[in-house]
Amino acid sequence: MKIENKVLACVDLSLFADYVADYAAWAARRMDAPLKFLHVISRHPEIGSGEDHSGAIGIGSQEILLTKLSEQDAALAKVAHEKGRIFLNRLRERAIAAGVASPDMKQRHGALEETLVEQEDDVRLFVLGRRGESAEVTNRDLGRNVERVVRALHKPILTVTEGFTEPRRVMIAFDGGSLARKGVEMVAASPLFRGLPIHLLMSGKASQDGPRQLECARQTLEAADFEVISSLIPGDTERIVAQAIQEQGIDMLIMGAYAHSALRSLILGSKTNDLLRSARIPTLLLR
Amino acid sequence: MKSLRQDWLSNIRNDLLAGIVVALALIPEAIAFSVIAGVDPKVGLYASFCIATVIAFTGGRPGMISAATGAMALLMVMLVKEHGLQYLLAATILTGVLQIAAGWLRLGSLMRFVGRAVVIGFVNALAILIFMAQLPELTGVTWVVYAMVIAGLGIIYLFPYITKAVPSPLVAIVVLTAVAMYFGMDIRTVGDMGQLPDSLPVFLLPDVPLNWETLKIIFPVSLTLAVVGLLESMMTASIVDDLTDSQSNKNRECVGQGIANIASGCVGGMAGCAMIGQSVINVKSGGRGRLSTLAAGVFLLLMVVFIGDWVSQIPMAALVAVMIMVSIGTFNWASICDLRSHPKSYSVVMLATVGVVVATHDLAQGVLVGVLLSGFFFAHKVGMIMYVGSKSENEGRIRSYQVVGQVFFASADRFVESFDFKEVIEKVRIDVSRAHFWDVTAVTALDKVVIKFRREGTEVEVIGLNEASATMVDRFAVHDKEGAEDLLMGH
Repeated sequence: MKIENKVLACVDLSLFADYVADYAAWAARRMDAPLKFLHVISRHPEIGSGEDHSGAIGIGSQEILLTKLSEQDAALAKVAHEKGRIFLNRLRERAIAAGVASPDMKQRHGALEETLVEQEDDVRLFVLGRRGESAEVTNRDLGRNVERVVRALHKPILTVTEGFTEPRRVMIAFDGGSLARKGVEMVAASPLFRGLPIHLLMSGKASQDGPRQLECARQTLEAADFEVISSLIPGDTERIVAQAIQEQGIDMLIMGAYAHSALRSLILGSKTNDLLRSARIPTLLLR
Repeated sequence: MKSLRQDWLSNIRNDLLAGIVVALALIPEAIAFSVIAGVDPKVGLYASFCIATVIAFTGGRPGMISAATGAMALLMVMLVKEHGLQYLLAATILTGVLQIAAGWLRLGSLMRFVGRAVVIGFVNALAILIFMAQLPELTGVTWVVYAMVIAGLGIIYLFPYITKAVPSPLVAIVVLTAVAMYFGMDIRTVGDMGQLPDSLPVFLLPDVPLNWETLKIIFPVSLTLAVVGLLESMMTASIVDDLTDSQSNKNRECVGQGIANIASGCVGGMAGCAMIGQSVINVKSGGRGRLSTLAAGVFLLLMVVFIGDWVSQIPMAALVAVMIMVSIGTFNWASICDLRSHPKSYSVVMLATVGVVVATHDLAQGVLVGVLLSGFFFAHKVGMIMYVGSKSENEGRIRSYQVVGQVFFASADRFVESFDFKEVIEKVRIDVSRAHFWDVTAVTALDKVVIKFRREGTEVEVIGLNEASATMVDRFAVHDKEGAEDLLMGH
């Protein structure tokens, strides 16, 4: 089987799915890659349904209970399948309308994280909503799945927010680290941003090597025929990036993600999470 | 973190409600089992509270209910009668220690040797024992008691048709208690059975001399308790696994049961284990998480401590009705119909397990007999898969034997008998390359065949012995080498 480098749009039944579909369609068109929608249906054996509090057990009650519970599960699963299929089909139509030739769709059982890791091999770009079904009600800035999923994957991940605007100006948040340098090379080699002006922004604590690394990155991008605007602004990364995005009308951010261990970010906080919260635009995370 | 939240907080409302239902059913059971063991009801009630609460944190199967059980109570009778309560508490703690050791040694995996027939036999025997334990309450009593038991069972099974919001065993107990008090009936009540808890449990080490004598008294009991407790817990865990379509951690459950029993012994409670009936009730009522087990334990204690005066007024007849319900619900009724359709060996193992348990009141002995019998039947069946064919070659000068199948202790005699030693022939060739020699008995049998032929003056050639005896993993230790499957299965 040939390895197809597809764009995988991971959706759940939330309103963010539409924007995931839009950005995935955009990316698929730019990279001329096949597009596939994935909806993961997870089971919840830890949640019980209790309408029977009679507490009486009689002849064959164990067998009857087993039959009843498995029938319940089967009925729920059928409903979920059908709901997901209709939902995915609508997104597929949407992608076709946006100009993608023949998007594929698939539903799978399992936990989100594990399913995505299984699919990773023939995926070139993941697209997922920064918030999802559960965040619709809880109003959190960052969906609870995002960090876990991103950490588990090793391919670029485009995390999208509400609304879709076709990216015109993109910015790379550059910290000079190995992940960021690799990221710059990936951007230079990819057709995804070809023809778009790229802002290269370095911030954070001023370091000796900073200007040299920034220059190096600029040359890499220019060698690939990109129009590059590079700037070095020392200071609080989170604030400066957010400010630059506003001032220069950036509509997509690119950065390396979660270079440090989960334990370290639990204690010191994660720069990736801070940036994801402060930058309210779609962000491409490089791993 | 994720699993912690999932185990505890994903099903709060259902867990709490199911916990209350279970607690209400646990109270009569704990009292009834204390009566069986010959101790005050408070011993069983403290045990049920303590075991349920501790296992909520330490167990390996969320949603499973553990407390004082009939299977364990039956094993304590003699110890309590001859040595008293303090020795029971010491035995309970030792049981916990043994169970923790079993968990660390990963003995939970030994459950795979306990086949389906033995499990069904265990469950049926347990149900019969619970029922038989009610008989003392039903012999030599007035018709009033019978009427109350029947009325109780009627309420338990018919009330759910009216509403399923209230536990019907509770309704039965309340109604029967009210009737008995209103008419001032002269029948036995829970209060007559001994002391009920009047306070929260306090930490207290058993008052026994710490010496060799004590160990000799309690060790045999503790060992049986530990084995039976783990057996019932493992079986219940796999029942809950099936019902909820999820996995449990069996070795963690072993250690958890041990910790719970040690804790129970330290607050004046008896040993316990997982309960099949209560766990089914819990799942049926919507309980899935650890919270349901914790809630059951805490509600039980609160109810008993704060309405203890009312509890002592409950007529024993009401408890008997509840226990008969548990017995009916635990028994595997389908297994009676299966007797006709399942293989004879299966039925024999199942019935033997039941028979031994009912005769000895010891579930461990029943399981031992059941496991041994299944082993015999299995060996017998596999021993049938052995065939020796022969043909003469080289114009009648050579006879070539071809051995196919499994040669081991159960088939070795048949193997030897398959050769014709009386045949007058120059040379015999025995090809064993398509046979498996499983043990020393098989190799000895082959030696015997060779010697017998030689005595008749026949030359013997054995082909393929190395391949055949590769299955004697003990000696050649191929099981841990690469390509073991090919060696064992290939030829």
